[in-house]
Amino acid sequence: SQSPKVLGLQARACNCHCFLLIRHVQASQRTIALIAEMIHTASLVHDDVIDDASSRRGKHTVNKIWGEKKAVLAGDLILSAASIALARIGNTTVISILTQVIEDLVRGEFLQLGSKENENERFAHYLEKTFKKTASLIANSCKAVSVLGCPDPVVHEIAYQYGKNIGIAFQLIDDVLDFTSCSDQMGKPTSADLKLGLATGPVLFACQQFPEMNAMIMRRFSLPGDVDRARQYVLQSDGVQQTTYLAQQYCHEAIREISKLRPSPERDALIQLSEIVLTRDK
Amino acid sequence: MNLRQLLFRLPLYLGASGSPRRLWWSPSFDTIFSVGSWRGQSSKSPAHWNQVVSEAEKIVGYPTSFMSLRCLLSDELSNIAMQVRKLVGTQHPLLTTARGLVYDSQNSLQLRGLVVLLISKAAGPSSGNASCQNYDMVSGIYSCQRSLAEITELIHTALLVHRGIVNLNELQSSDGPLKDMQFGNKIAILSGDFLLANACNGLALLQNTKVVELLASALMDLVQGVYHENSTSAKENYITDDIGISTWKEQTFLSHGALLAKSCQAAMELAKHDAEVQNMAFQYGKHMAMSHKINSDLQPFTKEKTGDSMTFNLNSAPVVLHQEFLGRDLWIKQIREAQEKGRLDYGKLRERIKAGKGVTSAIDLCRYHGNKALEALESFPPSEARSALENIVFAVTRFS
Repeated sequence: SQSPKVLGLQARACNCHCFLLIRHVQASQRTIALIAEMIHTASLVHDDVIDDASSRRGKHTVNKIWGEKKAVLAGDLILSAASIALARIGNTTVISILTQVIEDLVRGEFLQLGSKENENERFAHYLEKTFKKTASLIANSCKAVSVLGCPDPVVHEIAYQYGKNIGIAFQLIDDVLDFTSCSDQMGKPTSADLKLGLATGPVLFACQQFPEMNAMIMRRFSLPGDVDRARQYVLQSDGVQQTTYLAQQYCHEAIREISKLRPSPERDALIQLSEIVLTRDK
Repeated sequence: MNLRQLLFRLPLYLGASGSPRRLWWSPSFDTIFSVGSWRGQSSKSPAHWNQVVSEAEKIVGYPTSFMSLRCLLSDELSNIAMQVRKLVGTQHPLLTTARGLVYDSQNSLQLRGLVVLLISKAAGPSSGNASCQNYDMVSGIYSCQRSLAEITELIHTALLVHRGIVNLNELQSSDGPLKDMQFGNKIAILSGDFLLANACNGLALLQNTKVVELLASALMDLVQGVYHENSTSAKENYITDDIGISTWKEQTFLSHGALLAKSCQAAMELAKHDAEVQNMAFQYGKHMAMSHKINSDLQPFTKEKTGDSMTFNLNSAPVVLHQEFLGRDLWIKQIREAQEKGRLDYGKLRERIKAGKGVTSAIDLCRYHGNKALEALESFPPSEARSALENIVFAVTRFS
């Protein structure tokens, strides 16, 4: 999941879009960043209960400190606060754009509950889940900010595509880091995805080289020893490299989109942002 | 296939074995109409509530459907039903909530939605505001108002489901395997979130930012109200919270009144009625919901046949009032006296409460709110819909 740093960068990046046309950031655009952050936080709080997680960003989770009941209510409260703030901006288009995120987040979680038998379907399923759970928020926040800043639908689409591609790239790298980094760096234990029964990019690629992983994927790594064996297969395969390469493709796409806007220091910053997404180590 | 049909199939999944266990806090209407006379349950009583409701449903055009079609056709709903099925045999509260939703669906589960529709019809169209003319009118209710009624039910149900989350570190061996509770929690969160997401979508489609703000703030109120409900240590230590009736009223407004009050107001906003009308609708919603809750709280004390094992909420209206009259120390003494080996004898405690002024006080309070609701209705022109709203108030304030 996303670190606060990247979300902060995203907020500024979204605001940068509008620098291109009007030289200041409106209060309503700042509010979008706030709302996006709140929606994200609400979903994380609920996700931690669903995953029975003990730590998040290097600290104890809400559910561990205050129990599951309060954690769920806390998530609902944050969501309601985000909705109130959204309503007060007074723009029905923006409301529609951001409520789409709320729906996508829930659908993403449901997608994660289910699994696909067919290998080909699995990858599409994984990318769809990645979009809904991670990229939709960034894509739609960027779009919302651009809607508030300028009337041109071409610009809205550029903003959306930039956010979407950056978002997917970000999650792909996140999935890679689950295999390559160690726990004190990440702020959460690694192999976390495997332990949750999730088959992410590196695993899906590794499975193409080692078909014996199929059975483990189908049973969601539930047997003792599955998690370690799967991890070994991944590290022996080129799963990590393939996923990283895929992330690079998405970043290039994001850069291609944003380059359609007029040159400016802000546009350069957004291009640099994708470098950061690819090279971060936590 | 409409939602009613879908919900009727759920019992097959849930294993319809005997009558569902109803927790004291879920408003179940058959207890309302069993508030009979001292001479015993009048045979008219159960029919009476049903009659009030089915007449009301006729007035609003068709039985209130639960969710918009889009939501019904989703994969997620069948996914949820399938997952809930796995909970059969466990003790997770979600199973009880789901059963309650299913079994209650024959007795107007959707009271809130019904009230929103009735008040929409009672208010009628606003005086010649052009923006309304794009709306689609069926049966004297705008389609956006119908949508709002559904959204209200979605929000209510979402929190009903979220209320059933279990604290894992408080589990005892009698609660069954940890795994089951974790799974139940997972499904409860996802189902609730699914309903909330649909509510948000529905709100966005209304294209009215004031209405979004109203319902979002109602959600916030509801969450805070549920939080207060959960904060009580009454379950473990059998102690009533040290709150007076005015705090009780504030908290109950949050957990039971705000949603209906603000939805009624929002219905008026959708039809572009002025602030005065919006306020009257709000007042009706608020006071009707309060009297409904107090009525529900009074059931354990006014029903003729109550088994001794029937528990009641130590933070309910009659008990809080009883504590206020008695003073906290005496009340705690009474609780202690009713305890045997750490377990509370509810039957004994009930008698002490009935002997005090709490019950009659609560009945008075119920009628007070009922009257306020009726007052608010006076500013609406007489109509079938208005009469139906009055009948609902009469039904929840009947105790003789």
